[in-house]
Amino acid sequence: MAAPVNSVVNSSAKCSSFNATSFQKKTRSRLISIPGTRPSVQNGQLLVSTGVTSLDYLLGGGLAVGTVLLIEEDRYDSYSRMILKYFLAEGVVCRHELFVASAQHTPDDILQELPSPILDDVAIHKPVEQPRLSHEPQDSLDAMKIAWRYQNLPKVQTALASSSRFGHYYDVSKMMEAEIREAAKCHRFYLPEHPTQSSPTHSPMLESYSALLKSLRDVIQREGFEVTAPMSKSRNILRIGLHSLGSTLWGDDLCCHDNPRHGHALTTFLYGLRALLRSSLSVAVVTVPSHLIQNRALMGRITRLCDNAIALESFKGSEREANPLYKDYHGLLHVRQVPHLNCLASQLPDHKDLAFKLKRKQSHIQCGILWPFHLFIYFDL
Amino acid sequence: MLSELLQGTDTGGFLIVQDNISHSGRPLLKSFISAALNRDEDVHVLAFEASEEELKDGLQGLPCQRLHIHNAYIDPLGWTAHPAFTVQQFCFEELTQLAKQTSQPKPATLVIDSLSWILRHLNPPHVCKTLQQLRKGGAVRAIIGLLHADMHQRGTVGSICHLATSVIAVSPGMKADEAVAKTTKRAKSGKVTQDEEIFRINEDLTVVVLNKTSHPGPKQTDQEEPEMDPTANLTFNLRLSDTEREAKEKLALPFVFSKEKKMALLQSGPGSGRILYEPDANDDYDQEDPDDDLDV
Repeated sequence: MAAPVNSVVNSSAKCSSFNATSFQKKTRSRLISIPGTRPSVQNGQLLVSTGVTSLDYLLGGGLAVGTVLLIEEDRYDSYSRMILKYFLAEGVVCRHELFVASAQHTPDDILQELPSPILDDVAIHKPVEQPRLSHEPQDSLDAMKIAWRYQNLPKVQTALASSSRFGHYYDVSKMMEAEIREAAKCHRFYLPEHPTQSSPTHSPMLESYSALLKSLRDVIQREGFEVTAPMSKSRNILRIGLHSLGSTLWGDDLCCHDNPRHGHALTTFLYGLRALLRSSLSVAVVTVPSHLIQNRALMGRITRLCDNAIALESFKGSEREANPLYKDYHGLLHVRQVPHLNCLASQLPDHKDLAFKLKRKQSHIQCGILWPFHLFIYFDL
Repeated sequence: MLSELLQGTDTGGFLIVQDNISHSGRPLLKSFISAALNRDEDVHVLAFEASEEELKDGLQGLPCQRLHIHNAYIDPLGWTAHPAFTVQQFCFEELTQLAKQTSQPKPATLVIDSLSWILRHLNPPHVCKTLQQLRKGGAVRAIIGLLHADMHQRGTVGSICHLATSVIAVSPGMKADEAVAKTTKRAKSGKVTQDEEIFRINEDLTVVVLNKTSHPGPKQTDQEEPEMDPTANLTFNLRLSDTEREAKEKLALPFVFSKEKKMALLQSGPGSGRILYEPDANDDYDQEDPDDDLDV
């Protein structure tokens, strides 16, 4: 669209206000631009990355802000804990705020084990050692002979990634350095430090869950994560990681009995959590030891109360380990639920047989989800 | 792996011996007690299911001044006026006090015979919380518990074993005095190892591990098979000798510039164009929809 310039004397600031046509370019409503987020291509929701790029792909591009991801733990809680750590590490790298709650391990223990990000988006490439002739000078080793115009440009990563600024890659064999980690603001909730006060009203929620919900609400209000908070401040996302909810250490007998006495405690908590998240700029990842929960109806209710739900089944210790089909993978991944937010139907992944693997590539180990059998696109994450 | 566990659990370790009606785990528990006594450690035993005499049977040859048996067999529910040890005393404060009573500055090992008995009378979340607090607190170095897996619901057994660092499930073996032990060990790094062994317990409570069972153990996940080198075993020569490499380097390539010219071209001079682009808020994200411009 051409806006005619009035004259050279008038400053250029004026020419944009003169419209010769009646067509107005439709400007999108002011998108909150927060680092580490992007709008979804399907329904325009604001998405954050889970830290594992292929999990983002399965969930439709990422985790929508204001939703809950439920991870059903594998038997020894190794891989679910790893995905939780990836989620928190992604928050550190994108400079979001973190909230970590656990009853078994101190949140500091979990934070110290975060994987280290591979910071330049460049595959670490060791040039193959060629035996050099004696008359070659030292500094010409890096100079390219034929493609010398490109020698000052960074090496480009060949693996596909939707946008490298949205999801990052991590190296599980190394821990995140302390200065990167401490730069992120983190709120902690360790259950043994919160003495349980018996509530006067008989609420269906346990004291531990009430304390956790109250702590979350306080953090959201105090730090200004609510959607209705004034827009003058720069906005940020709060990433909430809740480890092993429903286990006995939270005081819940969901995992012990077939007909638990506190059958409604966790479901009430999840309901309150989702209400809290919908009205704030936060995302939550909750892990639940579902292999211990015997009551399948209860597990179904818990799944319905969360927006996204995946289940991890590790091959360690099960009879599937001997199956030759599975020998390259570490476990199966089941997508139990994908949300449909502001639209009629959700985008389910095309393939139902998903397996995951911790891949050791060159010098680092990354977590990846593979599509076995016919579709062998290898997502290097 | 059984012998490693017998040699000493790490600090903060929680070991569970899981047995069932067909094979009792108490002899293995007594082997753990005798191994700990041989290492000069203080051992506190909470005896709910077996009497003191039965537990001491077989441990005579060992230094018994370090062994403290808390007799909860006589009156566990506190029906008499002066019970020795009741099940209500199974909580963090009382047990820490108990463990600190010994004269040794080194933390003690706590042996619980059995956890199943306690789980019948206290609710599982409380038991789990106490065990977790004991592990994190410094009064007790290691906890060894006996659990009868067929006495409880699967969820309860699973929840208690979820807290443990190692679980040994015993079952009867082929011969009368042999038993099969399936061990699962969780290291602090999160790595899980499993093993299946046949063992026998001698008269003096030492454990003899016989050969492993016929099923091979699961392969370690980080062992990679050596990749076949495709350049080996070829009928033609892919390698270069030194003279050949020299000749290759000396070959003048077309379009090759001198070093000065290369440097000049690589650095952007004042005349070279640079594209500066700053997307503003009006920029269209969606390249596919041409009608997105119209405000219809």
